[in-house]
Amino acid sequence: MLERERVSVYLAWRSLARGSRTSLLLNVAIIGLVFTNMILLPSIISGSVDLFNQQTIDYQTSDILVRPAEGEQYIERVGTLLETIDRVPGVRRASARHAIGATLLARNRSVSVPVTALNPRDEVEVTTIHERMKDGEFFAGGERGEILVGQFVSGSEDAREDLFTSLGGVRVGERIEVAFANGVIRDYVVKGIYETRSYLVDYSALITWEELESVMDGQVDEATEVLVRTDRAHELGVVKRGLLEAGVQEEVKTWREAITSAVEESIETFGIINSISMLVSLVIAVVVIFIVITIKAMNQRRQIAILKAIGIHRGVIIRSYLLQVLAICTLGTLVGLVAVGGIEAWFTAHPLIFPDGELVPRFDPAALVENAAWLFVVSLIAGYIPAWRITRETVLSGMRAA
Amino acid sequence: MMIRVDGLRKTYRMGNVEVRALDGVTLDVAGGEFVGITGPSGSGKSTLLHLIGLLDEPTAGSISVQGVDVLRLTDDERTHFRLTRIGYIFQDYALVPDLTALENVFLPTLARGMAEYDGLERAAALLRRVGLEERTDHLPAELSGGEQQRIAIARALVNEPALLLADEPCANLDTHASEMVLDLFARINREFGQTVLMVSHEESHQRYFTRTVRLQDGVVVDDSGRASGDGDDDQARGRGDASIYPVPFHHDHGDP
Repeated sequence: MLERERVSVYLAWRSLARGSRTSLLLNVAIIGLVFTNMILLPSIISGSVDLFNQQTIDYQTSDILVRPAEGEQYIERVGTLLETIDRVPGVRRASARHAIGATLLARNRSVSVPVTALNPRDEVEVTTIHERMKDGEFFAGGERGEILVGQFVSGSEDAREDLFTSLGGVRVGERIEVAFANGVIRDYVVKGIYETRSYLVDYSALITWEELESVMDGQVDEATEVLVRTDRAHELGVVKRGLLEAGVQEEVKTWREAITSAVEESIETFGIINSISMLVSLVIAVVVIFIVITIKAMNQRRQIAILKAIGIHRGVIIRSYLLQVLAICTLGTLVGLVAVGGIEAWFTAHPLIFPDGELVPRFDPAALVENAAWLFVVSLIAGYIPAWRITRETVLSGMRAA
Repeated sequence: MMIRVDGLRKTYRMGNVEVRALDGVTLDVAGGEFVGITGPSGSGKSTLLHLIGLLDEPTAGSISVQGVDVLRLTDDERTHFRLTRIGYIFQDYALVPDLTALENVFLPTLARGMAEYDGLERAAALLRRVGLEERTDHLPAELSGGEQQRIAIARALVNEPALLLADEPCANLDTHASEMVLDLFARINREFGQTVLMVSHEESHQRYFTRTVRLQDGVVVDDSGRASGDGDDDQARGRGDASIYPVPFHHDHGDP
């Protein structure tokens, strides 16, 4: 049987080598573009998911998030809990947060946002909000009478430029009035404005724990959440287990577990869009290969008949076309990989600017392999059908073809 | 007997009209004969050759080649039979345009499973025999009609077929090229005992044939110079002193 494969390879190679170079290059370029198209949108979606995940870790949850046990509103005795958590192997630092509802007033405008109290020395170890100051400075620790606001809270003087209701472009150094949910009203100086590009984070405000205690008129030993940063060397699951084994009774979740179901649904929707995009690309590939092989085989009807007449088996001829498809797909995929590599390099240097951050497309090697495999499979099917159909023709009718 | 055709009929349907291309042809061809099939246009010459060459199927009748009832072969077996036992030469050469002269002749040896080196050596030797040693690397489009037909003859011979079928091989050639081709056929037949069945409507070609079968309206009307008695198939191979083939073939035992 091997001699048949030899003949297929021989015919395929000669056909590619002696056929039209322009046509071959065009076909390779089309497959290359199809492959790139298959990869590009998923990579942007992957990059977008990565960006969202990173923002979640950096600004909202850190690596592990501890929330009140079910049915509880607060984490009680949080000072003791922090000491417990900090002793667990793999924990780098834990930071307690206490969120309280408030209405902020300035420039005759008001916004109702959560005001979160935190300990800056702990917070800088678990999140990176302090690195995202658009204006002013992050807390050094122990500040009183000062507040940090997110960029959407400060907003713009022109309300049409705002995504949300804002304080009309309040600036660092300005005074704002804060009416807390417990009825306390205080004036604060804006110490800084942060810009994380995470909508949730940028539409909030921060005060120090000391300021919270002043508002609450007493020591506060309860938190609404505790953020835990781990050492990179430790698996999150292992550290989480360590926290539970250390006696943490509250709800303990890794950042991935903490992502709400709404976000998970968004990611699933991205996955559906991704699949549709891949399907469309594959349809394009099928159509291109089908047309290419149909035209090629139609133009070579007489040659096919000659080959059959001199005793070349039909299967050998079909395989020679499939080998040509394989060659075109291989070259096209290589062209696509080069293009993808170029795109990756470009976007790494020049990230896509999205409203929620700088997005670098992520090219997943597994996705590259999977897409290439799909491309090959559908191309072979698309090439087989016309080759099979045209080689069915009788020798004499094929010989009569012009 | 090399070829035994009995009661062969071929009917085509053209719309509602039934056309009888062959109407009961019976013919025996012994090994080593050079048979010319002549007759006017539409007499069924090419149809007969197509049927013997397994390129078409008859409506009725039987065909055996070297004792094999070829009509009972499967499609795959027919293809293999054409590869190993029949050399077919077409009026319009029917060379593969993407292959050079050498590659066109080499291809059937590759399909037969011959080692590449031996196949190329055999193809080159045959091209030397037909006087085209200087044109081995040329594509068919770069060659004259006579040269292309000689390549087609070399290709038809390369697998040592028992039977060489030629369908008006000189129809597209000028007189000089035609004589070269016919001389080549005659020499192959004379020196190597190759059985040749050639369709031709040229009266002048008859002097090359050892036997002429004349068809008219799908029936044999004249069969002059017929060899007496049953010819020995092996007579063909054994007659020539020298072999046309420089590299011996290991004949397939599994041939149908």
